[in-house]
Amino acid sequence: MSKALQARPRAKKGQGGHYLLRLFMAGNGQNSQKALANLRSLCKEHLNGRCTIETVDVVKNFQAAVRDNILVTPALILVAPRPRVMVLGNLSDLPKVLTALRLSGSES
Amino acid sequence: MLGKRKPIPKVPTQIAGLDEILEGGLPRGRTSLACGGPGSGKTVLGLEFLCRGAMAGDPGVFVTFEESAKAVRMNALSMGWDLAALEKAGKMAIVEARLSGDEVLSGDFDIQGLLTIVGGHATRIRARRVVMDALDVLLRVYGDVQRERSELSRLHDWLTDRGLTSVLSVKTYRGGDDGSQYEFLDFMADCVIRLDHRVLGQVATRRLRVIKYRGSGFGTNEYPYVIGERGIVLFPLTKAELTHKPLGAKVSSGLPGLDAMLDGGFRSASCILIAGSSGTGKTTLASAFARAASRRDEKVLYLSFEESEEAMIAGMLSAGIDLRPALRSQKLLIQTALPEAMGSDNHLVRALEAMDKFKPDHLILDAISACVRMGSEQAAFDYLMRLVGVIKERGITCILTNQSLAGGCEELSGIGFSSVVDAVIQLRFVDAGQEIGRQILVIKSRGSGHSNRREPFYITGQGIEFPNNLRPPSARAGQADPKDGAR
Repeated sequence: MSKALQARPRAKKGQGGHYLLRLFMAGNGQNSQKALANLRSLCKEHLNGRCTIETVDVVKNFQAAVRDNILVTPALILVAPRPRVMVLGNLSDLPKVLTALRLSGSES
Repeated sequence: MLGKRKPIPKVPTQIAGLDEILEGGLPRGRTSLACGGPGSGKTVLGLEFLCRGAMAGDPGVFVTFEESAKAVRMNALSMGWDLAALEKAGKMAIVEARLSGDEVLSGDFDIQGLLTIVGGHATRIRARRVVMDALDVLLRVYGDVQRERSELSRLHDWLTDRGLTSVLSVKTYRGGDDGSQYEFLDFMADCVIRLDHRVLGQVATRRLRVIKYRGSGFGTNEYPYVIGERGIVLFPLTKAELTHKPLGAKVSSGLPGLDAMLDGGFRSASCILIAGSSGTGKTTLASAFARAASRRDEKVLYLSFEESEEAMIAGMLSAGIDLRPALRSQKLLIQTALPEAMGSDNHLVRALEAMDKFKPDHLILDAISACVRMGSEQAAFDYLMRLVGVIKERGITCILTNQSLAGGCEELSGIGFSSVVDAVIQLRFVDAGQEIGRQILVIKSRGSGHSNRREPFYITGQGIEFPNNLRPPSARAGQADPKDGAR
Protein backbone atom coordinates (compact mmCIF):
# COMPACT_ATOMS: atom_id res chain seq x y z
CA MET A 1 0.00 0.00 0.00
CA SER A 2 2.76 2.40 0.85
CA LYS A 3 4.67 1.43 -2.25
CA ALA A 4 2.75 3.69 -4.57
CA LEU A 5 2.83 6.55 -2.11
CA GLN A 6 6.60 6.37 -1.76
CA ALA A 7 7.22 5.81 -5.40
CA ARG A 8 5.69 9.05 -6.50
CA PRO A 9 7.93 11.56 -4.71
CA ARG A 10 10.96 9.48 -5.52
CA ALA A 11 10.11 9.52 -9.18
CA LYS A 12 9.58 13.25 -8.94
CA LYS A 13 13.02 13.73 -7.43
CA GLY A 14 14.71 11.66 -10.07
CA GLN A 15 13.05 13.11 -13.09
CA GLY A 16 11.07 16.24 -12.48
CA GLY A 17 12.76 17.61 -9.27
CA HIS A 18 14.34 20.99 -9.51
CA TYR A 19 17.91 21.47 -8.38
CA LEU A 20 19.15 24.52 -6.57
CA LEU A 21 22.95 24.71 -6.69
CA ARG A 22 24.94 27.43 -4.98
CA LEU A 23 28.47 27.91 -6.20
CA PHE A 24 30.92 29.89 -4.11
CA MET A 25 33.82 31.38 -5.99
CA ALA A 26 36.61 33.77 -5.21
CA GLY A 27 36.85 36.53 -7.77
CA ASN A 28 37.43 35.59 -11.36
CA GLY A 29 40.29 33.15 -10.95
CA GLN A 30 41.01 30.12 -13.06
CA ASN A 31 39.42 27.68 -10.64
CA SER A 32 36.29 29.81 -10.41
CA GLN A 33 35.92 29.86 -14.19
CA LYS A 34 36.52 26.13 -14.42
CA ALA A 35 34.02 25.35 -11.70
CA LEU A 36 31.32 27.45 -13.28
CA ALA A 37 31.89 25.95 -16.74
CA ASN A 38 31.84 22.42 -15.31
CA LEU A 39 28.67 23.11 -13.39
CA ARG A 40 26.88 24.59 -16.40
CA SER A 41 27.69 21.62 -18.58
CA LEU A 42 26.60 19.23 -15.84
CA CYS A 43 23.28 21.06 -15.58
CA LYS A 44 22.72 20.85 -19.26
CA GLU A 45 23.76 17.27 -19.81
CA HIS A 46 22.58 15.55 -16.66
CA LEU A 47 19.69 17.66 -15.43
CA ASN A 48 18.20 18.80 -18.71
CA GLY A 49 18.31 22.31 -17.41
CA ARG A 50 16.17 21.48 -14.35
CA CYS A 51 18.43 23.54 -12.16
CA THR A 52 19.12 26.99 -10.90
CA ILE A 53 22.73 28.00 -10.40
CA GLU A 54 23.33 30.67 -7.79
CA THR A 55 26.86 32.08 -7.76
CA VAL A 56 28.39 33.87 -4.80
CA ASP A 57 31.67 35.74 -4.94
CA VAL A 58 33.06 35.44 -1.40
CA VAL A 59 35.44 38.31 -1.99
CA LYS A 60 32.46 40.60 -2.49
CA ASN A 61 30.11 38.91 -0.06
CA PHE A 62 31.91 37.80 3.05
CA GLN A 63 28.72 37.45 5.07
CA ALA A 64 27.51 34.77 2.68
CA ALA A 65 30.78 32.89 3.17
CA VAL A 66 30.32 33.14 6.95
CA ARG A 67 26.73 31.92 6.73
CA ASP A 68 27.63 28.77 4.83
CA ASN A 69 31.05 28.35 6.46
CA ILE A 70 32.91 28.43 3.16
CA LEU A 71 36.57 27.84 3.97
CA VAL A 72 37.81 26.82 0.57
CA THR A 73 36.78 27.94 -2.90
CA PRO A 74 35.38 26.94 -5.27
CA ALA A 75 32.72 25.18 -3.22
CA LEU A 76 29.39 23.88 -4.41
CA ILE A 77 26.39 23.40 -2.16
CA LEU A 78 23.42 21.36 -3.23
CA VAL A 79 20.71 23.37 -1.51
CA ALA A 80 17.75 21.45 -2.88
CA PRO A 81 16.66 18.75 -3.00
CA ARG A 82 17.63 17.82 0.54
CA PRO A 83 19.86 16.58 2.09
CA ARG A 84 22.39 19.26 1.57
CA VAL A 85 25.76 18.28 0.09
CA MET A 86 29.01 20.17 -0.25
CA VAL A 87 31.57 19.57 -2.98
CA LEU A 88 34.94 21.30 -2.82
CA GLY A 89 37.09 22.05 -5.82
CA ASN A 90 36.67 23.09 -9.45
CA LEU A 91 34.34 20.11 -10.15
CA SER A 92 36.72 18.63 -12.71
CA ASP A 93 36.10 15.07 -11.54
CA LEU A 94 32.66 14.63 -13.07
CA PRO A 95 31.79 11.09 -11.88
CA LYS A 96 32.64 12.13 -8.33
CA VAL A 97 30.44 15.20 -8.56
CA LEU A 98 27.54 13.22 -10.00
CA THR A 99 27.78 10.67 -7.22
CA ALA A 100 27.85 13.44 -4.64
CA LEU A 101 24.76 15.05 -6.17
CA ARG A 102 23.00 11.67 -6.25
CA LEU A 103 22.83 11.81 -10.03
CA SER A 104 25.02 8.87 -10.96
CA GLY A 105 21.99 6.58 -11.22
CA SER A 106 20.10 8.78 -13.65
CA GLU A 107 23.15 9.07 -15.82
CA SER A 108 23.37 7.34 -19.21
CA MET B 1 82.82 47.38 12.31
CA LEU B 2 79.26 46.28 12.15
CA GLY B 3 76.62 48.87 12.79
CA LYS B 4 74.36 48.46 15.74
CA ARG B 5 71.51 46.12 14.80
CA LYS B 6 68.24 47.96 14.49
CA PRO B 7 65.74 46.19 16.72
CA ILE B 8 62.70 44.85 14.87
CA PRO B 9 59.30 46.02 16.12
CA LYS B 10 57.65 43.60 18.54
CA VAL B 11 54.31 42.98 20.13
CA PRO B 12 54.50 41.99 23.81
CA THR B 13 52.58 38.79 24.52
CA GLN B 14 52.22 39.65 28.21
CA ILE B 15 52.46 35.94 28.91
CA ALA B 16 54.38 35.61 32.18
CA GLY B 17 58.05 35.15 31.33
CA LEU B 18 57.65 34.75 27.56
CA ASP B 19 58.52 38.31 26.60
CA GLU B 20 61.83 37.99 28.44
CA ILE B 21 62.68 34.92 26.38
CA LEU B 22 61.54 36.62 23.16
CA GLU B 23 63.37 39.80 24.17
CA GLY B 24 60.25 41.90 23.99
CA GLY B 25 57.57 39.85 22.27
CA LEU B 26 56.51 38.41 18.92
CA PRO B 27 57.56 40.09 15.66
CA ARG B 28 55.03 42.78 14.75
CA GLY B 29 53.13 42.23 11.54
CA ARG B 30 54.74 38.86 11.00
CA THR B 31 53.92 35.22 11.35
CA SER B 32 54.99 33.11 14.31
CA LEU B 33 54.59 29.39 14.65
CA ALA B 34 53.76 27.49 17.84
CA CYS B 35 54.18 23.76 17.47
CA GLY B 36 53.90 20.93 19.93
CA GLY B 37 52.23 17.64 20.68
CA PRO B 38 48.68 17.16 21.86
CA GLY B 39 48.11 18.81 25.23
CA SER B 40 51.26 20.89 25.11
CA GLY B 41 49.38 24.16 25.49
CA LYS B 42 49.44 25.58 21.96
CA THR B 43 45.82 26.65 22.12
CA VAL B 44 46.30 28.30 25.51
CA LEU B 45 49.36 30.16 24.24
CA GLY B 46 47.44 31.52 21.25
CA LEU B 47 44.36 32.32 23.30
CA GLU B 48 46.36 34.08 25.97
CA PHE B 49 48.19 36.16 23.38
CA LEU B 50 44.86 37.28 21.93
CA CYS B 51 43.07 37.78 25.24
CA ARG B 52 45.80 39.83 26.84
CA GLY B 53 45.92 41.94 23.70
CA ALA B 54 42.15 42.32 23.50
CA MET B 55 41.90 43.24 27.17
CA ALA B 56 44.53 45.91 26.60
CA GLY B 57 42.57 47.25 23.63
CA ASP B 58 44.29 45.43 20.77
CA PRO B 59 41.59 43.36 19.00
CA GLY B 60 42.21 39.95 17.50
CA VAL B 61 40.67 37.11 15.51
CA PHE B 62 40.85 33.53 16.74
CA VAL B 63 40.42 30.89 14.05
CA THR B 64 39.76 27.41 15.33
CA PHE B 65 40.11 24.50 12.94
CA GLU B 66 39.56 21.77 15.47
CA GLU B 67 37.46 22.77 18.44
CA SER B 68 34.05 24.39 18.33
CA ALA B 69 33.81 28.07 19.21
CA LYS B 70 31.78 27.03 22.24
CA ALA B 71 34.57 24.74 23.49
CA VAL B 72 37.13 27.50 22.96
CA ARG B 73 35.03 29.91 25.00
CA MET B 74 34.69 27.37 27.79
CA ASN B 75 38.41 26.61 27.87
CA ALA B 76 39.19 30.30 28.01
CA LEU B 77 36.72 30.86 30.81
CA SER B 78 38.52 28.28 32.93
CA MET B 79 41.57 30.59 32.75
CA GLY B 80 39.42 33.58 33.67
CA TRP B 81 39.15 35.02 30.15
CA ASP B 82 35.65 35.94 29.12
CA LEU B 83 35.72 35.67 25.35
CA ALA B 84 32.00 36.24 24.98
CA ALA B 85 32.37 39.61 26.67
CA LEU B 86 35.34 40.48 24.47
CA GLU B 87 33.36 39.47 21.38
CA LYS B 88 30.48 41.61 22.48
CA ALA B 89 32.80 44.54 23.04
CA GLY B 90 34.12 44.09 19.50
CA LYS B 91 37.59 43.18 20.75
CA MET B 92 37.58 39.63 19.54
CA ALA B 93 36.10 37.43 16.85
CA ILE B 94 36.09 33.65 16.83
CA VAL B 95 35.95 31.93 13.48
CA GLU B 96 34.95 28.30 13.60
CA ALA B 97 36.69 27.01 10.50
CA ARG B 98 35.81 23.37 10.69
CA LEU B 99 35.15 21.22 7.71
CA SER B 100 32.50 18.68 8.55
CA GLY B 101 34.52 15.88 6.99
CA ASP B 102 31.79 14.67 4.63
CA GLU B 103 32.57 17.19 1.91
CA VAL B 104 33.38 15.66 -1.45
CA LEU B 105 36.64 16.78 -3.05
CA SER B 106 36.67 17.25 -6.76
CA GLY B 107 39.42 19.17 -8.46
CA ASP B 108 41.60 22.03 -7.37
CA PHE B 109 40.61 24.53 -4.70
CA ASP B 110 42.20 27.09 -2.36
CA ILE B 111 41.57 28.77 0.99
CA GLN B 112 40.29 32.05 -0.41
CA GLY B 113 37.01 31.47 1.40
CA LEU B 114 38.74 31.24 4.75
CA LEU B 115 40.84 34.30 4.06
CA THR B 116 37.71 36.20 3.12
CA ILE B 117 35.98 35.25 6.34
CA VAL B 118 38.99 36.08 8.50
CA GLY B 119 39.57 39.29 6.58
CA GLY B 120 35.96 40.32 6.98
CA HIS B 121 36.07 39.86 10.74
CA ALA B 122 39.47 41.52 10.99
CA THR B 123 38.15 44.58 9.18
CA ARG B 124 35.01 44.66 11.27
CA ILE B 125 36.82 44.74 14.63
CA ARG B 126 40.02 46.38 13.35
CA ALA B 127 42.03 43.36 14.42
CA ARG B 128 45.82 43.55 14.57
CA ARG B 129 46.35 40.02 15.80
CA VAL B 130 45.30 36.70 14.32
CA VAL B 131 45.67 33.27 15.87
CA MET B 132 45.04 30.18 13.77
CA ASP B 133 44.72 27.20 16.03
CA ALA B 134 45.43 23.67 14.77
CA LEU B 135 46.27 24.66 11.22
CA ASP B 136 47.36 21.08 10.59
CA VAL B 137 43.70 20.06 10.56
CA LEU B 138 43.09 22.32 7.57
CA LEU B 139 46.24 21.15 5.83
CA ARG B 140 45.09 17.58 6.07
CA VAL B 141 42.40 18.28 3.49
CA TYR B 142 45.10 18.69 0.86
CA GLY B 143 46.92 15.46 1.50
CA ASP B 144 49.63 16.70 -0.82
CA VAL B 145 52.83 18.41 0.29
CA GLN B 146 53.06 20.59 -2.79
CA ARG B 147 49.57 21.99 -2.39
CA GLU B 148 50.00 22.37 1.34
CA ARG B 149 53.01 24.53 0.66
CA SER B 150 51.36 26.72 -1.92
CA GLU B 151 48.40 27.30 0.38
CA LEU B 152 50.67 28.07 3.32
CA SER B 153 52.53 30.59 1.19
CA ARG B 154 49.24 32.15 0.20
CA LEU B 155 48.18 32.32 3.85
CA HIS B 156 51.52 33.74 4.93
CA ASP B 157 51.52 36.39 2.20
CA TRP B 158 47.95 37.33 2.98
CA LEU B 159 48.68 37.77 6.69
CA THR B 160 51.88 39.70 6.04
CA ASP B 161 50.27 41.96 3.43
CA ARG B 162 47.71 43.01 5.98
CA GLY B 163 50.35 43.61 8.65
CA LEU B 164 48.70 41.16 11.01
CA THR B 165 50.75 39.83 13.90
CA SER B 166 49.84 36.19 13.76
CA VAL B 167 50.41 32.95 15.60
CA LEU B 168 49.80 29.70 13.76
CA SER B 169 49.66 26.60 15.86
CA VAL B 170 50.42 23.18 14.49
CA LYS B 171 50.23 19.80 16.14
CA THR B 172 53.37 17.75 15.88
CA TYR B 173 53.93 14.23 16.99
CA ARG B 174 56.79 12.83 18.92
CA GLY B 175 59.12 10.34 17.37
CA GLY B 176 59.87 10.37 13.69
CA ASP B 177 61.44 13.61 12.68
CA ASP B 178 60.31 15.97 15.41
CA GLY B 179 57.87 18.19 13.60
CA SER B 180 59.67 18.27 10.29
CA GLN B 181 56.44 17.28 8.59
CA TYR B 182 55.86 21.00 8.68
CA GLU B 183 59.42 21.92 7.86
CA PHE B 184 58.15 24.46 5.37
CA LEU B 185 56.20 26.24 8.12
CA ASP B 186 59.35 26.45 10.21
CA PHE B 187 61.08 28.04 7.30
CA MET B 188 58.24 30.40 6.48
CA ALA B 189 57.56 31.73 9.96
CA ASP B 190 59.70 34.49 11.43
CA CYS B 191 59.54 33.09 14.93
CA VAL B 192 59.18 29.43 15.84
CA ILE B 193 58.26 28.31 19.35
CA ARG B 194 58.27 24.66 20.25
CA LEU B 195 56.22 23.39 23.18
CA ASP B 196 57.02 20.05 24.69
CA HIS B 197 55.11 18.00 27.18
CA ARG B 198 57.15 15.14 28.57
CA VAL B 199 57.38 12.90 31.56
CA LEU B 200 60.49 13.13 33.72
CA GLY B 201 60.76 10.62 36.52
CA GLN B 202 57.01 9.95 36.42
CA VAL B 203 56.13 13.62 36.70
CA ALA B 204 54.74 15.49 33.73
CA THR B 205 56.78 18.56 32.86
CA ARG B 206 56.43 21.16 30.17
CA ARG B 207 59.26 22.82 28.29
CA LEU B 208 59.26 25.70 25.84
CA ARG B 209 62.02 26.46 23.39
CA VAL B 210 62.39 29.17 20.80
CA ILE B 211 63.85 27.55 17.69
CA LYS B 212 64.34 30.65 15.62
CA TYR B 213 63.62 34.35 15.58
CA ARG B 214 64.50 36.26 12.42
CA GLY B 215 66.21 39.54 13.13
CA SER B 216 66.21 39.16 16.88
CA GLY B 217 68.07 37.54 19.71
CA PHE B 218 66.21 35.23 22.07
CA GLY B 219 66.70 33.02 25.10
CA THR B 220 68.02 29.79 23.66
CA ASN B 221 67.41 27.42 26.55
CA GLU B 222 64.54 25.13 27.24
CA TYR B 223 62.27 26.88 29.70
CA PRO B 224 59.89 25.06 32.01
CA TYR B 225 56.35 26.33 32.06
CA VAL B 226 53.10 25.48 33.71
CA ILE B 227 49.55 26.08 32.61
CA GLY B 228 48.22 27.66 35.75
CA GLU B 229 44.89 29.10 36.73
CA ARG B 230 45.64 32.29 34.88
CA GLY B 231 47.33 31.01 31.77
CA ILE B 232 50.89 30.09 30.95
CA VAL B 233 53.68 30.83 33.40
CA LEU B 234 57.26 30.50 32.26
CA PHE B 235 60.44 30.61 34.27
CA PRO B 236 63.14 32.24 32.26
CA LEU B 237 66.53 31.94 33.84
CA THR B 238 68.19 34.13 31.27
CA LYS B 239 69.64 36.89 33.37
CA ALA B 240 69.31 35.58 36.88
CA GLU B 241 73.00 35.87 37.67
CA LEU B 242 73.21 39.51 36.67
CA THR B 243 70.35 40.75 38.75
CA HIS B 244 71.21 39.12 42.05
CA LYS B 245 71.20 41.63 44.85
CA PRO B 246 74.49 41.97 46.71
CA LEU B 247 74.71 40.45 50.17
CA GLY B 248 73.27 42.72 52.80
CA ALA B 249 73.96 43.58 56.42
CA LYS B 250 74.33 40.94 59.11
CA VAL B 251 71.22 39.47 60.62
CA SER B 252 71.25 37.46 63.80
CA SER B 253 70.80 33.72 63.44
CA GLY B 254 68.78 33.88 66.63
CA LEU B 255 71.54 32.03 68.48
CA PRO B 256 74.27 34.12 70.17
CA GLY B 257 76.66 31.20 69.95
CA LEU B 258 76.20 30.77 66.21
CA ASP B 259 76.33 34.53 65.69
CA ALA B 260 79.73 34.46 67.37
CA MET B 261 80.93 31.70 65.02
CA LEU B 262 79.63 33.69 62.04
CA ASP B 263 81.26 36.90 63.13
CA GLY B 264 77.92 38.53 63.85
CA GLY B 265 75.36 36.43 62.02
CA PHE B 266 74.17 35.58 58.53
CA ARG B 267 74.46 38.10 55.73
CA SER B 268 70.96 39.12 54.69
CA ALA B 269 70.08 38.31 51.06
CA SER B 270 72.49 35.39 51.20
CA CYS B 271 71.79 31.74 50.71
CA ILE B 272 72.64 29.58 53.69
CA LEU B 273 72.77 25.82 53.65
CA ILE B 274 72.34 23.84 56.86
CA ALA B 275 73.42 20.26 56.27
CA GLY B 276 73.39 17.29 58.56
CA SER B 277 72.00 13.83 58.97
CA SER B 278 68.54 13.17 60.31
CA GLY B 279 68.03 14.39 63.87
CA THR B 280 71.05 16.66 64.09
CA GLY B 281 68.86 19.75 64.56
CA LYS B 282 68.53 21.38 61.15
CA THR B 283 64.86 22.27 61.55
CA THR B 284 65.51 23.47 65.10
CA LEU B 285 68.29 25.76 63.90
CA ALA B 286 66.10 27.14 61.09
CA SER B 287 63.18 27.62 63.48
CA ALA B 288 65.35 29.52 65.93
CA PHE B 289 66.19 31.89 63.10
CA ALA B 290 62.52 32.21 62.13
CA ARG B 291 61.51 33.02 65.69
CA ALA B 292 64.26 35.62 66.10
CA ALA B 293 63.41 37.25 62.77
CA SER B 294 59.71 37.46 63.60
CA ARG B 295 60.60 39.14 66.89
CA ARG B 296 62.49 41.76 64.89
CA ASP B 297 59.27 42.25 62.84
CA GLU B 298 60.77 40.57 59.79
CA LYS B 299 58.67 38.15 57.78
CA VAL B 300 59.61 34.53 57.22
CA LEU B 301 58.14 32.12 54.68
CA TYR B 302 58.78 28.52 55.74
CA LEU B 303 58.41 25.89 53.00
CA SER B 304 58.24 22.51 54.67
CA PHE B 305 58.46 19.33 52.64
CA GLU B 306 59.13 17.14 55.64
CA GLU B 307 56.23 17.44 58.06
CA SER B 308 52.86 19.06 58.60
CA GLU B 309 52.55 22.48 60.21
CA GLU B 310 51.08 20.97 63.39
CA ALA B 311 53.83 18.37 63.68
CA MET B 312 56.50 20.97 63.10
CA ILE B 313 55.10 23.39 65.70
CA ALA B 314 54.75 20.60 68.26
CA GLY B 315 58.26 19.37 67.55
CA MET B 316 59.75 22.82 67.96
CA LEU B 317 57.76 23.41 71.13
CA SER B 318 59.43 20.39 72.70
CA ALA B 319 62.78 21.93 71.76
CA GLY B 320 61.81 25.17 73.51
CA ILE B 321 61.05 27.15 70.37
CA ASP B 322 57.49 28.46 70.31
CA LEU B 323 56.55 29.50 66.79
CA ARG B 324 52.91 30.21 67.60
CA PRO B 325 53.33 33.92 68.46
CA ALA B 326 55.10 34.43 65.13
CA LEU B 327 52.24 32.71 63.30
CA ARG B 328 49.66 34.74 65.20
CA SER B 329 51.36 38.03 64.37
CA GLN B 330 51.57 36.85 60.74
CA LYS B 331 55.31 37.28 60.66
CA LEU B 332 55.66 33.59 59.89
CA LEU B 333 53.90 31.70 57.14
CA ILE B 334 54.35 27.96 56.95
CA GLN B 335 53.56 26.33 53.62
CA THR B 336 53.65 22.57 53.62
CA ALA B 337 53.42 20.14 50.73
CA LEU B 338 54.26 16.59 49.94
CA PRO B 339 56.97 16.71 47.29
CA GLU B 340 55.21 13.95 45.36
CA ALA B 341 51.93 15.85 45.34
CA MET B 342 52.76 17.76 42.16
CA GLY B 343 55.47 18.41 39.64
CA SER B 344 58.41 20.67 40.46
CA ASP B 345 57.05 23.39 38.17
CA ASN B 346 53.82 23.52 40.16
CA HIS B 347 55.79 23.58 43.41
CA LEU B 348 57.70 26.54 42.03
CA VAL B 349 54.55 28.42 41.04
CA ARG B 350 53.11 27.76 44.49
CA ALA B 351 56.21 29.10 46.23
CA LEU B 352 56.41 32.14 43.95
CA GLU B 353 52.75 32.93 44.51
CA ALA B 354 53.26 32.73 48.27
CA MET B 355 56.29 35.02 47.93
CA ASP B 356 54.32 37.54 45.87
CA LYS B 357 51.52 37.60 48.39
CA PHE B 358 53.42 37.38 51.66
CA LYS B 359 56.52 39.37 50.68
CA PRO B 360 58.90 37.65 53.10
CA ASP B 361 62.26 39.05 54.20
CA HIS B 362 63.55 35.53 54.66
CA LEU B 363 62.69 32.13 53.26
CA ILE B 364 63.38 28.71 54.74
CA LEU B 365 63.21 25.59 52.64
CA ASP B 366 63.14 22.39 54.66
CA ALA B 367 64.58 20.26 53.12
CA ILE B 368 66.16 20.33 49.68
CA SER B 369 66.90 16.61 49.98
CA ALA B 370 63.13 16.02 49.80
CA CYS B 371 62.88 17.89 46.51
CA VAL B 372 64.16 14.91 44.56
CA ARG B 373 60.80 13.33 45.29
CA MET B 374 59.22 15.94 43.02
CA GLY B 375 60.26 13.70 40.18
CA SER B 376 63.96 13.50 39.48
CA GLU B 377 67.35 14.98 40.36
CA GLN B 378 66.99 17.26 37.37
CA ALA B 379 63.51 18.42 38.40
CA ALA B 380 64.76 19.13 41.93
CA PHE B 381 67.78 20.97 40.60
CA ASP B 382 65.64 23.11 38.27
CA TYR B 383 63.22 23.88 41.07
CA LEU B 384 65.97 24.96 43.46
CA MET B 385 67.98 26.93 40.91
CA ARG B 386 64.94 28.88 39.83
CA LEU B 387 63.61 29.42 43.31
CA VAL B 388 66.97 30.57 44.63
CA GLY B 389 67.37 32.73 41.50
CA VAL B 390 64.16 34.60 42.30
CA ILE B 391 65.05 34.79 45.99
CA LYS B 392 68.39 36.36 45.15
CA GLU B 393 66.85 38.80 42.69
CA ARG B 394 64.55 40.00 45.44
CA GLY B 395 67.24 40.22 48.10
CA ILE B 396 65.58 37.65 50.34
CA THR B 397 67.65 35.68 52.82
CA CYS B 398 67.34 32.01 52.12
CA ILE B 399 67.99 29.11 54.46
CA LEU B 400 68.05 25.66 52.95
CA THR B 401 68.31 22.53 54.98
CA ASN B 402 69.72 19.36 53.53
CA GLN B 403 69.66 15.92 54.97
CA SER B 404 73.07 14.71 53.98
CA LEU B 405 74.70 11.72 55.52
CA ALA B 406 78.33 12.32 56.29
CA GLY B 407 80.36 12.78 53.15
CA GLY B 408 82.44 15.14 51.13
CA CYS B 409 81.79 18.78 50.66
CA GLU B 410 80.21 18.14 47.27
CA GLU B 411 77.46 16.01 48.73
CA LEU B 412 77.06 18.48 51.51
CA SER B 413 76.14 21.23 49.12
CA GLY B 414 73.21 19.21 47.99
CA ILE B 415 72.49 18.35 44.42
CA GLY B 416 75.36 20.18 42.83
CA PHE B 417 74.45 23.80 43.18
CA SER B 418 77.11 24.89 45.58
CA SER B 419 77.86 28.02 43.56
CA VAL B 420 74.67 29.77 44.62
CA VAL B 421 75.18 28.84 48.25
CA ASP B 422 76.91 31.62 50.20
CA ALA B 423 77.27 29.92 53.56
CA VAL B 424 77.40 26.30 54.65
CA ILE B 425 76.80 25.08 58.18
CA GLN B 426 77.30 21.45 59.01
CA LEU B 427 75.68 19.67 61.93
CA ARG B 428 76.76 16.22 63.03
CA PHE B 429 76.55 13.66 65.78
CA VAL B 430 79.64 12.75 67.74
CA ASP B 431 80.10 9.73 69.88
CA ALA B 432 80.93 11.14 73.30
CA GLY B 433 81.43 7.91 75.21
CA GLN B 434 78.26 7.39 77.23
CA GLU B 435 76.17 9.63 75.04
CA ILE B 436 75.74 11.09 71.60
CA GLY B 437 76.61 14.74 71.31
CA ARG B 438 76.09 17.27 68.53
CA GLN B 439 78.61 19.51 66.83
CA ILE B 440 78.24 22.50 64.56
CA LEU B 441 80.78 23.76 62.02
CA VAL B 442 80.76 26.74 59.68
CA ILE B 443 82.31 25.41 56.47
CA LYS B 444 82.03 28.54 54.43
CA SER B 445 80.59 32.01 54.76
CA ARG B 446 81.02 34.33 51.79
CA GLY B 447 81.78 37.93 52.57
CA SER B 448 82.29 37.30 56.22
CA GLY B 449 84.78 35.93 58.66
CA HIS B 450 83.85 32.78 60.49
CA SER B 451 85.10 30.33 63.06
CA ASN B 452 86.85 27.22 61.83
CA ARG B 453 86.16 25.20 64.92
CA ARG B 454 83.63 22.50 65.49
CA GLU B 455 81.60 23.62 68.47
CA PRO B 456 79.45 21.35 70.58
CA PHE B 457 75.80 22.30 71.12
CA TYR B 458 72.78 20.90 72.89
CA ILE B 459 69.14 20.90 72.03
CA THR B 460 67.37 21.36 75.35
CA GLY B 461 63.80 22.03 76.37
CA GLN B 462 64.80 25.69 76.37
CA GLY B 463 66.26 25.81 72.87
CA ILE B 464 69.74 25.41 71.45
CA GLU B 465 72.62 25.99 73.85
CA PHE B 466 76.31 26.34 73.27
CA PRO B 467 78.28 25.16 76.32
CA ASN B 468 81.48 26.95 75.30
CA ASN B 469 81.26 30.59 76.16
CA LEU B 470 81.34 31.91 72.58
CA ARG B 471 81.79 35.62 72.59
CA PRO B 472 80.07 37.86 70.11
CA PRO B 473 82.46 39.60 67.66
CA SER B 474 82.09 42.97 69.29
CA ALA B 475 83.77 41.59 72.39
CA ARG B 476 86.60 39.99 70.44
CA ALA B 477 89.85 41.84 69.91
CA GLY B 478 91.43 42.52 66.51
CA GLN B 479 88.41 41.40 64.49
CA ALA B 480 87.13 44.76 63.30
CA ASP B 481 87.39 44.09 59.58
CA PRO B 482 85.41 41.09 58.41
CA LYS B 483 87.68 40.79 55.37
CA ASP B 484 90.45 39.64 57.68
CA GLY B 485 88.37 36.73 58.81
CA ALA B 486 89.34 33.17 58.13
CA ARG B 487 88.33 31.83 54.78
